[in-house]
Amino acid sequence: MRKEKLRDLSFFLSPMVLMVLLFYLVPLIMTIYISMTRMKNWNVERYLTEFVGIYNYERLFYMFQHDPTFKAVIMTTIVFVGITLMINVFGGLSLALATFFINERAASSYRLLWLLPRMSPIAVYSLVWYYFFHGSEIGTLNSILMSLGLISEPIPWGQVTPWGAWSVIIFVNGLVGVSFGMIVFTSALNQIPKELVIAARVDGASSWQISKRILIPMMKWHLLYVLTWQFLSLLTTYPHLFLLVEWDLVNRDYGTTLALYVFNTAFGRGEQDQGLAAAAAVVLSIIGVIGGFVTLKVLQFEKMMKKPRGDF
Amino acid sequence: MVKVILDNITKRFDDFAALKGVTLEITDKEFMALLGPSGSGKSTLLYTIAGIYRPTSGRIYFDDRDVTDVPPKDRNVGLVFQNWALYPHMKVFDNIAFPLELRKFPKEEIAKKVKEVAEMLRIETLLNRYPWQLSGGQQQRVAIARALVKEPDVLLLDEPLSNLDALLRLEVRAELKRLQKELGITAVYVTHDQAEALAMADRIAVIKEGEILQVGDPDEVYYKPKYRFVGGFLGSPPMNFLDAEVQDPYLDVYGNRILIPIQYRELVKKLGVRKVILGFRPHDAEVVRGVAEGLVGTVYSFEPLGREQIVTVSVNGASLKVFAPEGEHFTFGEQVTVKLREDRIILFDKKTEKALEFLEE
Repeated sequence: MRKEKLRDLSFFLSPMVLMVLLFYLVPLIMTIYISMTRMKNWNVERYLTEFVGIYNYERLFYMFQHDPTFKAVIMTTIVFVGITLMINVFGGLSLALATFFINERAASSYRLLWLLPRMSPIAVYSLVWYYFFHGSEIGTLNSILMSLGLISEPIPWGQVTPWGAWSVIIFVNGLVGVSFGMIVFTSALNQIPKELVIAARVDGASSWQISKRILIPMMKWHLLYVLTWQFLSLLTTYPHLFLLVEWDLVNRDYGTTLALYVFNTAFGRGEQDQGLAAAAAVVLSIIGVIGGFVTLKVLQFEKMMKKPRGDF
Repeated sequence: MVKVILDNITKRFDDFAALKGVTLEITDKEFMALLGPSGSGKSTLLYTIAGIYRPTSGRIYFDDRDVTDVPPKDRNVGLVFQNWALYPHMKVFDNIAFPLELRKFPKEEIAKKVKEVAEMLRIETLLNRYPWQLSGGQQQRVAIARALVKEPDVLLLDEPLSNLDALLRLEVRAELKRLQKELGITAVYVTHDQAEALAMADRIAVIKEGEILQVGDPDEVYYKPKYRFVGGFLGSPPMNFLDAEVQDPYLDVYGNRILIPIQYRELVKKLGVRKVILGFRPHDAEVVRGVAEGLVGTVYSFEPLGREQIVTVSVNGASLKVFAPEGEHFTFGEQVTVKLREDRIILFDKKTEKALEFLEE
């Protein structure tokens, strides 16, 4: 019996265990190891064995204290993740609730509209906003404001530091992320029996009161899930940011988050410093683990766990 | 406490007509049952009274006030659902207090009113629990308490007993009827269970495919069905129906000749109908052994129910059910005669399936 159970367990778990080992655990260990070497310019033969202990971490800490560029990266990461997360979660929630109260056919086409940023290729989507926020008079925003007579000179939005650059990257990424929350929350709302909404209406509640008192409390787990998921993906995302910075639309210092910094340091132009990048990646992972863990604990994730259905 | 008037209400959902010209007056303090099979539009009608649905045409009045365009929250109605629709994340107290909180009642008054209504429904010990910690019967009481706490003008009940087990249903049935009369509240009760409607309502409106077929007190609807459908929907087992042909002064019923019931003789002559449906209730006939005056057939089956038994008799291929007293023993295939109680017979027109006395309406 015990043996059989073990066999079943290993059969079902082995693909996932293999995946985790190959694509998660091994790279993690390699990253931690590289972060303790002087690895540079992918010169594996020369540097991979040059063990330097926590030297790279000390460098990071020193930069954090004294290097204004790295300070900007940290500030950008905090502001970007914090504000975009709020936009993602509450934007998705508002959209789901708003479309919940309107006619179903109109609602689904409206929701489709918000999926467009997610569906279009990153380069195409980023290009749209590149032209929209472009710093010269060809930029859509500038030309609108100028023809309205609100400004006389084009404004290089992404180069206004720090808030101009931050606004652009938050805006562009915020729009992409909203659809995820919207879909999760919409499906959660559809699971709520319609009698509860009718009952609340008859009890005298407005749409706002129904949302606040009935719908949102019943979506607690979904809220938690979207919050955690989006937090982790915003912490690690960089494709949109990479393009916007590369095209010089936004200021390099205030358009670079820690994730993009890791990428640029390891693979970017000029001198590549994989040791330092790996150290920054490890720090990023630790922040992610702590952050994810805290949200799960604060919102009591373990209460969502269900007992198995039956014994076999 | 109001009188509810529905004036020619229609409701369409896209291409589907859920209600087709419903006119109904529910008097003050009355207990009105809307009885019909599933999909008949009875719940739609209830939600239209509540204001969840806006009628496609027609008007709704509470007394003299036209409420057709008034949103549900301003109609002062209480609504109880089949699944009770308690808010799962709120304790019983908060569930009941919810409508009062929305009306911005002061805290002490809310506490007082919740306590009152909870005592009335004997759930005062449960106020600190969550809905999932309650039994079905208790949840149902909470749902009724929540509907009553705001002292509604009209209490609307959508199959509130369907999710209870059979024994509890009988108990709550009596209690609910008593409560409605004590509070003197106008009540509309949607059900597909004819026994519930007969047992509780002052009047019953029988609905089929979005139309009201008949409105009347339980006796009227039970004994004087206007349509074959009404006779067939009420009663357990329901009315028996047999095709019959008029051969004045007789009716030919599957090869048996019986006299046209006295109350129909003139009417049959006047209307000149030839093909009719003979209807009678299982307890308005008796089964006697052997061949006699009446409908001669054989015993197909018999089901003792304790106090009485149901005998299914096959008359030349037609099947009918008749109550027989306990203790009488039948055998399968035995020859018997079903003798009908003449004054309880209803004749329906074969084509329109409408009772002859209403045919000219």
